[in-house]
Amino acid sequence: MKLTDLFKEDIFVVTGEVGPIKGALSRDKSKVPQCVKEAELLKDHVHAVNVTDNQSAVMRLGSMFASVGLKNRGIEPIYQLTCRDRNRIALQSDLLTAYSFGIDNVLLLTGDHIQLGDHKEAKPVFDLDSVQLIKMARKLNEGYDLTGNKLENPIDMALGAVVNPNFEPLELQLLKMKKKVDAGAEFFQTQAVYDEGVLERFMNLASRFNRPIQLGVVVLKSPQMGNFMNKNVSGISVPQAWIDEIGSVDKADRKKKAAEMMGRFIGKVKHMVQGVHIMPLGWSDIVPKILEYAEIEAKQAA
Amino acid sequence: MHATIQKPIDEIVSFIKPGEKVFVVGCNNCAWKCHSGGEDETRKMAERLIKRGVDVVGYSVPGPQGMSLCKLSNTRQVLQENYKEQVNKADSFLVLACGQGVHTVIDATDGALVHPGCDTIFGGETVSENEIEEFCSLCGECIIEYTGGLCPMTLCAKQLLNGPCGGAENGHCEVDEERPCGWIMIYERLKKLGRLELIEGYLGPKNNAKWSRPRSLRVSPTEATFCSIAGRITVSNQD
Ligand code: SF4
Ligand code: SF4
Repeated sequence: MKLTDLFKEDIFVVTGEVGPIKGALSRDKSKVPQCVKEAELLKDHVHAVNVTDNQSAVMRLGSMFASVGLKNRGIEPIYQLTCRDRNRIALQSDLLTAYSFGIDNVLLLTGDHIQLGDHKEAKPVFDLDSVQLIKMARKLNEGYDLTGNKLENPIDMALGAVVNPNFEPLELQLLKMKKKVDAGAEFFQTQAVYDEGVLERFMNLASRFNRPIQLGVVVLKSPQMGNFMNKNVSGISVPQAWIDEIGSVDKADRKKKAAEMMGRFIGKVKHMVQGVHIMPLGWSDIVPKILEYAEIEAKQAA
Repeated sequence: MHATIQKPIDEIVSFIKPGEKVFVVGCNNCAWKCHSGGEDETRKMAERLIKRGVDVVGYSVPGPQGMSLCKLSNTRQVLQENYKEQVNKADSFLVLACGQGVHTVIDATDGALVHPGCDTIFGGETVSENEIEEFCSLCGECIIEYTGGLCPMTLCAKQLLNGPCGGAENGHCEVDEERPCGWIMIYERLKKLGRLELIEGYLGPKNNAKWSRPRSLRVSPTEATFCSIAGRITVSNQD
């Protein structure tokens, strides 16, 4: 199922996210990897689940294999593909392979820099940037490779991209967003936003591109996490009021509080966007509660 | 200029076998500016090696201040004529210069054994006496007309050609909070110049063949031929 089909029907699209495990799939079938467990918790509540690609440049199980794994379990994957570790040959080949495995949605990103990860001495590839990557994927959709050679069978995938509403200067971020739209991006997921004003300012400027935009939210689990993200996670800023609120309850009650806070925020701003992308960072079990608080009917018409 | 830094002395000493006779060569241009292989550093390196028991047969920084070690004709003449006696005694040459300089010494000595005394780190602008900054990555296909003269291949940690990633924070790069985001620098500069339209256009993928090694250049007063795996590209400087 292509996400773009849902947007076309004006469905408020809800997606989650899992990160593949650090390790291989066990031959012992009774051992279910954590990412699958998390995805199973999301299954009946979201339309699709993003599968991250060596997120934060930490080496892990491949996003393509994990995406296929979810698909086989009836969970719609959004396969994330970054430019950090693959040149243009590998990027195209991986997209052909992903499509051949039945994957319908791809999120095309630059990728975090190698310096943020656990193999700091690796060679950064960045042969293409995200705009060039999107254009490349569109060409594959149209039946041609990057140099114009005809494909035996084209791919047919929904092409997603990312944008950061927190970025300063916003005009520069919008300039890049426009290039992504022109290159062929069909829907957007935003970086995590915690501020209604930031989202409003962004949506006022970005709606002219006429592409569905999903608000990105990262579940805030603790005040420590808020402070950590402010210090270490590029492009995200967590307001002090959020940090204070999650800190106002005991550890044992944080899940409940987080669900309430995230849900309240999403509920308040959902009219501005065409969907929400929830990054639970392991707390997939609270996603149904978040949606309940936000008064979003789970998986409408999915 | 080629920016270089000296290797740690212990690493340099580890290159030299017991009893090996070493001639130390510096460079009076770039390595002089970097204090990695000018006259003072070359003399001092000879002394530091002697102190550690290395048999140093001589040292030289060929040519006057401003002369590059990588100018083969000069380096050959100085080593083979002015320092003939010491050079003939040498088993090897420790070169305090960039990798081009090291190779120049191979050529100037008709193939002698060389040891690199420096790490060559980049080609840069001598911004001041104590600041050298990298602004070009020598990609062979310059696109900075479209980025206000600031190179995203060099100033952006991800070498993005079509605008910033989402990671910049307070104007700084996601990779290094000490460094400004190259794309914000490009944007601010073009905004000031009233030329923001320059970065609105799409830049296609780079031709990496022009950047693959090795590369060479044949020049004449009117014509130059750039050879790489992208082929031979001949350009004229005439009408
Ligand atoms: S585009 Fe290439 S040639 Fe031009 S400044 Fe950058 S690296 Fe140097
Ligand atoms: S923060 Fe700026 S300089 Fe750093 S990688 Fe992103 S776009 Fe490039």
